[in-house]
Amino acid sequence: MPERFAVLPCNGLDKAVGPLARETALIVVEDCEGSLICPVLYQNTPARYEKPLAESPLIVIDGCGTRCASRIAATHGLRIARKLTVAEALREAGVAPGQSLRPGPEMLEVCRRLAGQLLTEGPSAPEPPPPVADFSGPVEYATVRHDKFVFRVPVRSGYYFNENDCWARVAGGRARVGISDFRQQQLGDLTFCDLPRIGATVEQFGELGSVESVKAVSDILSPFSGRVVAANEQVAEAPETINEDPYEAGWVAELELSDFAGEVDLLLDGEGYLEVVKRKAAEYRP
Amino acid sequence: MDSVANRVLLIPCSGIGKVHGLIAREGVLRAVEQAFGGEVQTMCLPLLVVGDEEARRLVAQHPVITVDGCPKLCAYKNTELAGGKIARSLRVLDVLKEHKGAQPGTATTLSDEGWKVVDALSSELMGEVQALTGSGEVA
Repeated sequence: MPERFAVLPCNGLDKAVGPLARETALIVVEDCEGSLICPVLYQNTPARYEKPLAESPLIVIDGCGTRCASRIAATHGLRIARKLTVAEALREAGVAPGQSLRPGPEMLEVCRRLAGQLLTEGPSAPEPPPPVADFSGPVEYATVRHDKFVFRVPVRSGYYFNENDCWARVAGGRARVGISDFRQQQLGDLTFCDLPRIGATVEQFGELGSVESVKAVSDILSPFSGRVVAANEQVAEAPETINEDPYEAGWVAELELSDFAGEVDLLLDGEGYLEVVKRKAAEYRP
Repeated sequence: MDSVANRVLLIPCSGIGKVHGLIAREGVLRAVEQAFGGEVQTMCLPLLVVGDEEARRLVAQHPVITVDGCPKLCAYKNTELAGGKIARSLRVLDVLKEHKGAQPGTATTLSDEGWKVVDALSSELMGEVQALTGSGEVA
């Protein structure tokens, strides 16, 4: 009896490879007497599958390059022991999946071979767990004083800024985004914060959300491109949190970054933004 | 897909590992196979769940019929969450009520009775599609 696995397939339906992923998963589960994880049910109710995931290593089977099952696994920080993308495997084998959403006998035989390969390949090194994004570390602040106003800027703490006074604090492949102390003082008491949708993607300098005060509405332009993985409900319920603590508790959204290395050069670090705030503070008229 | 402006999307629950989920999936596949004129199309529910922008755009622009295998209503809830226009929501359990005592099979293989339930479900689906495309409800 092969090792027992928990199996998370994409269970796709709109391309021929989706049903092939499903059939392969069903064969794997039957052959190893493992546990089958419904991707949609898991995404909605992860607690339901805590036990099988704790007891068995995980196989993820995707149909196409969208890799829905892998993305769901990544969202929940699952460690993947083995994985298969059916479209890639078929390409490497020179097999065309066809158009039908119902696999015929020949394709079912292909699924059996893929299942067999998954179960008999040697124990692979588990994928490293996704990097943990830790935003709890201490933040060092510099201040800019002008007249009676004091503006704080985080320095040497992993913050990056765009010219629109929006910041990103980067940790473990992710970034939290918000507006700067200078911007929140310009706006005054905030009355509303519009959060982005979880799962939405944003381009660098694209709109991530907005904040509103009695004076104005201000767009939050994302310093980096990425996918929204979290939104801070606290600032939606209590926008004044951004006024009180714009760089820490006042974060608006968290992104999974898509191209940090390619985009960081277009941004300012804390020291660079400090110079910008000095210039803006000199011209500041509330 | 968008070349047919009034195409109806049929979205079954994922339902893998459950016989009622299998019926939902097979019912939708049967309806797509039986449809002519390209008035129906299925969509992959996991795509919506992971936030695929194209999938979200399609469910917002086309009428959707969801088909759920169990009371968890994964297809209905996730389509609604994604901003979909749900025109009808069907449940396999309601179709099964018309086939009392039927033993539909297992999570991987349907019995003859199970396939009769699939036929009934797909007929109901096509009836709903025709009602939507023929009644002016679809823009």
